[in-house]
Amino acid sequence: MATVKDLLKAKFTQVWYVTPTSTVADALKLLSEQQIGAVLVVEAGKIVGIFSERDFARKALSPEVNLGTPVGDLMVRGVYYVTPDQSVESCMAMMTAKRFRHLPVLEDGKLVGVISIGDVIRQIMYEKDSTIQSLEDYIWVHMI
Amino acid sequence: MATVNNLLIQKGNEVWTVQQGNSIKDTLTLMGEKNIGAVLVLDGPKIVGIFSERDYARHAARLESMLLDKPVDDFMTHSVYYVSPQQTVDEVMALMTSKKIRHLPVMENEELIGLISIGDVVKQIMSDKETTILGLENYILGRDYSG
Repeated sequence: MATVKDLLKAKFTQVWYVTPTSTVADALKLLSEQQIGAVLVVEAGKIVGIFSERDFARKALSPEVNLGTPVGDLMVRGVYYVTPDQSVESCMAMMTAKRFRHLPVLEDGKLVGVISIGDVIRQIMYEKDSTIQSLEDYIWVHMI
Repeated sequence: MATVNNLLIQKGNEVWTVQQGNSIKDTLTLMGEKNIGAVLVLDGPKIVGIFSERDYARHAARLESMLLDKPVDDFMTHSVYYVSPQQTVDEVMALMTSKKIRHLPVMENEELIGLISIGDVVKQIMSDKETTILGLENYILGRDYSG
């Protein structure tokens, strides 16, 4: 079964991040330029949060929030993460249970990539198709 | 293979909508209350667009404004694709992937009968594949084939 490491190998991993003092405007501009839905918030080499389109849409209504607000005020803290050795299925379970679309990948406490629900689903579908294919091959060879 | 109709039977026909002219503020309030990522924008009974968290984030960034008092139809996506209840989940998945969209309205006789998300579609496709695998395994092992 594939691991997170396999997913990272398959895609070009550029990790985009902002800092807690970056403004909401800066973070939104980055999301837009890179065509991504969420960005990590990093301070002194450590992940302190994640900021997504959803966080913005949900919190935009509170009167004290504007485009100059620091991302640190709107980000979601306590970011869940995965390690390179974890199975893709365990990532899927975490993403589904917590309703996350993105998970940072940490190795020895260091950020090495981000995987999205799209990456995870593609891999799992591929594995299921391979299983179906080999079962069908087995039936052709041995049973018909 | 499962169809859009199967998805709707499981998730229901509820569709959250706003009318054109409604403010971004009211639209975001609805999306927050219902915990959804996108709403359809209607002119009377007719669909004129779809407005998502992504649309909001992109336009706010571009115009450097919170846009809360603006009408939602100024920032919605106009070209709305839709599907019919008879279409297969594979067709829907292909459309969502190629157009990079996460939500599709379901129309029957020009009437809106549901909204399906990529999450609904993926869940169904995964479970179909699981069923196929189980059926093949049972066949090989000589168990009662019930797939």
